[in-house]
Amino acid sequence: MDKQSRWAQLRPYMMIAPAMAGILAFVIYPILYLIYLSFFKYNLMNKDKSKFIGLDNFTQIFTRADFYKALSNTMIYTASVVLLTMFISLLIAVWLNKKSKINVIVQAGIFTPHIISIVSISLVWLWLMEPNLGFLNYVLKTLGLPPSQWLQSSKTALLSVIIVSVWQGIGYYVLIIVAALQSISPSIYEAAALDNASKWKVFYKITLPIISPQLFFILVIMTIGSFKVFDTVQVMTGGGPNNATNTIVYYIYGFRTTNIGYSAATGVVLMAIIGLLTFVYFRLLSKKVHYQ
Amino acid sequence: MKKNKVTLLLVLTMIISLLAGCAGANNGSNTNSGTNSGSANTPEADEQPAKGGKTTVQFWHSLGGKNGEYMDALIKTFNETHSDIEVVGTFQGNYDETVTKLQQAVAANTAPDVSMLERAYVQMFADSEVLEDLTPFLESSSLSADDFTAGLMGHSTFNDKLVSLPLNRSTPILHVNKSMLDEKGLAVPTTWEEMNQVANALVIQENGEFKRYGFTMPYDTWYPIAMISQAGGKFFNDDNTSIGFADNGVGEKVFNQLKKLQSTGALYYPPAQDSGNITNQMFVEGKVAMMYQSTGSIGGLTEAVDFDYVTAFLPKDEVFANPTGGANVAMMSGSKNKEAAWEFIRWMETDPQGGLQFILKSGYLPFTNKMVESAEIKALWEKEPNRKVAYDQLQYAVDTNKAVAWPEVMHEFFSAIEAIMYDSKDVKSTLDTFKKEADRILAQ
Repeated sequence: MDKQSRWAQLRPYMMIAPAMAGILAFVIYPILYLIYLSFFKYNLMNKDKSKFIGLDNFTQIFTRADFYKALSNTMIYTASVVLLTMFISLLIAVWLNKKSKINVIVQAGIFTPHIISIVSISLVWLWLMEPNLGFLNYVLKTLGLPPSQWLQSSKTALLSVIIVSVWQGIGYYVLIIVAALQSISPSIYEAAALDNASKWKVFYKITLPIISPQLFFILVIMTIGSFKVFDTVQVMTGGGPNNATNTIVYYIYGFRTTNIGYSAATGVVLMAIIGLLTFVYFRLLSKKVHYQ
Repeated sequence: MKKNKVTLLLVLTMIISLLAGCAGANNGSNTNSGTNSGSANTPEADEQPAKGGKTTVQFWHSLGGKNGEYMDALIKTFNETHSDIEVVGTFQGNYDETVTKLQQAVAANTAPDVSMLERAYVQMFADSEVLEDLTPFLESSSLSADDFTAGLMGHSTFNDKLVSLPLNRSTPILHVNKSMLDEKGLAVPTTWEEMNQVANALVIQENGEFKRYGFTMPYDTWYPIAMISQAGGKFFNDDNTSIGFADNGVGEKVFNQLKKLQSTGALYYPPAQDSGNITNQMFVEGKVAMMYQSTGSIGGLTEAVDFDYVTAFLPKDEVFANPTGGANVAMMSGSKNKEAAWEFIRWMETDPQGGLQFILKSGYLPFTNKMVESAEIKALWEKEPNRKVAYDQLQYAVDTNKAVAWPEVMHEFFSAIEAIMYDSKDVKSTLDTFKKEADRILAQ
């Protein structure tokens, strides 16, 4: 029956059609429209006044000093946040791995920042870091250390934002790593103990490879997430002082009312960078990741 | 096989009913738009003449807090006195947020009939041809542009069209802690030179830390622009092809003056975030003796301070000069209820029960000649001379940042201000970079 076999062929497509319709409407179409916008000096309110300017937006992006400033800020931010969060989360997770009452409480405590709105967190840290009346400088002064200008100096502002992001992110990643650690079968450790393997060796040769899929997952999502940092910057510094904390997404946001074509072009550049990064990760690291 | 088709049919029906459900929900949310909540109302749904042939006029504004309450009261009075028009006021966030929303609403054909518009954005909207020319409406109500306070009309016309009228307007002014100056036997400065001496004389420094600064100003383009025009420069040159303060050395003079004051503690330049509140707070607490700040803060400061508080003109260099600020009101050309919208604007601008009450309560500047001459304003000025100073200063009002591309240039100007004020970058080279960017934007 010809009719029936054609239906059999069509059926899977029909089944995924609703989901694909959603993806087309809310993912593919916006991306294509973004690329379309990036070739225009676009007038949102009056389309007749939009001007096609070809690649001008892109030439402008790559010749402007503030774009490179935003790009390098974003890179420094991403690298620091990813490395620090990974390292500290792993350390805490290994420490909290043993199940005891204290550990459960500590783990809940560390996780708490994750369930609080990042805006509230940013505001609280904004007060803590106030140079004259803030708590952090008070502590520094009592300890006899020189106070810092924190968010108000272009030298320390980016570092301050990084501290807040790391502090907020750790809890969530500790949770993932602890879950991964506890899924390791005890028999492997028992075998290692029989062989008199040192603690470091057990960690390096057994624990790390087994939890590597989770670590890889964290690495990828955290890199992408950090590249798109926005809320902390918006609340705490507004990109300042003097662009010291201006990141790419905030840079895009800065042109929202005045030049949406330029914003769109920067968005396309950001998409390309993140795509490239993810691709590199998968090529380089997927071989080192141990899937059971 | 049959079964499959049935399933498919079922799925399809479900999808369709889901979609219909979405649409239904939308209509539902529009029916309660009569309340002044922050929700985004789609005006179209309200445009059908609802109950008893009432015309609904959507009005977006940017007034929160106390001023928002005063605006709500104004709208309420309007609705009570007009049986055929219902104005729905919606708070849309601060000026910039309102502008962003308005841009998107125009693009999506859901713009309100009337909107408040920060004056510096008026040109940008007018250039996109989305603002209605109000001249015929004014004529039909036998009014003219001359009925409004001249100093506040700087941003109202575009290509000989009257596209907006002043509403909640303000101007920067010098706020002075008179008690502090009297203590040291100092007079309120009227020139930059006197400002240098007075501000420096007021500084208190202990162990390398400043306990008191001479004066301060919020992080904004407003105050440097004021100083540029005081020093005889213009922000944009006359034909809007370049900036008007680079080649004549005015820009350098302004920023060198600021840097010199900043280096001795005579000027405290606040961090960008929340700078307005920070400076107000410092002024109230006596940590700074003088402040450049909007006339909009007079009301709040009068209530908060416990010292002798006076206002004065911004000190002059070559001349007295000050820009204006605040927002205008404009009619969107996409509106389908222009007559009703105009009636609201006319009433708000000229009726003694309308704008005048709002101005009396909020402390914004009176914007029509009738208002200025009214007994109520006279009585208020008698009681609070600080507010009269603000109005009197309007004789020197000059707005030189009037260009379609101003919002984009402003972005670059902020970068220059930050580089100079926060990172002490070389004034001349920073201004050169800024000029280059501004020229490029203006040439587009």
